[in-house]
Amino acid sequence: MKEVMLDCYGEACPVPLVKAQNKIKELEVGDVLIVQIDHSCAMKNVPEWARKEGYNVEVEEIDDGEWEVIIEKSK
Amino acid sequence: MAENKKKFFDKVKTNEYYVRWGKNPYTYVTAAILLSLFQIVTFSVTRNPWGVSNAFAYWGAWVFEALGGSVDKWYFFASSGAQSILEEGFLNHAATWRNIGVITGALAATLLASGFKIKKIKSPKQIVAAVIGGLMMGYGARLALGCNIGAFYSGISSLALSGWVFAIGLFIGAIFGSKLLVKYFM
Repeated sequence: MKEVMLDCYGEACPVPLVKAQNKIKELEVGDVLIVQIDHSCAMKNVPEWARKEGYNVEVEEIDDGEWEVIIEKSK
Repeated sequence: MAENKKKFFDKVKTNEYYVRWGKNPYTYVTAAILLSLFQIVTFSVTRNPWGVSNAFAYWGAWVFEALGGSVDKWYFFASSGAQSILEEGFLNHAATWRNIGVITGALAATLLASGFKIKKIKSPKQIVAAVIGGLMMGYGARLALGCNIGAFYSGISSLALSGWVFAIGLFIGAIFGSKLLVKYFM
C-alpha cells in the first residue's frame, strides 16, 4: 500500500495522461497514484482514462487552477 | 463586512447553478452545439466562415507597417481583398475582434471557475518546443491558407473537399507530433 505523487504541474496535455499511464504500470494492486495537475483538460482526460481502466478515481481541487487526481490501482 | 463577504462567496461556491454553469467544464456535446451555433452567427454577420490564424498574419503586417515596413509587394497580401483589409485597419477587422473575444472569453471563463493560474516553466525544453511548434504552426497555417479552424472546421462544415484533405494532413501531423512528444517529453 504505497502512495506515489506524480508532479505534472506545468505540463500540458497529453503529457500528464501519458506520464500517469506509464507510472501506474510500476505500481502494485492497492497502491495509490496522485497526479498533480494544473492543466484543466488533464482534469478531464486523466480521470476518464482511469475510470475506463476500472480504477477508483477522485479529483480534488487543491488551489485555484490546481488539482490532484487520486487513482487507486484497485485491480 | 469581510465576514459577510466570505459567507456570500461560500454560498456561491456551493450554489447548484454556479457549479453547473460556472465551475464544471461543459461536456464535449454541449461545447460542440455552442460552437456550431456561434459559427453560424459569425458566418451570417461577417459574411466569412470562422477562422482564427489568418487574422494573426494581418496583425503581423500592421505591426510591420507601423514600424515603417511595407507588405504591398508580398504575395500573401497582393490581392485587392487583402489590401483593402490592410487599409481599413484592425479596428474594422471582424476576425481581429473575434480573436480578442476568444482570448478575453477564455480569461473570463477561467476566472469564473476560479481556475486562473500562471504556470511555471518547468524546463528550457518547454520553451524550445513552444517556439518551434508555434513557428511551424503559424507558417504551416499560412501555407495551407487556414488553420484547424479556418481550413478544417469551416472547410468541412461548408462541405468543401479541401477540409477533408486538411483533415488527413492534420491526422498525420498529430501522429508524428505525439511520437516526438513522447520521445522528448516523457
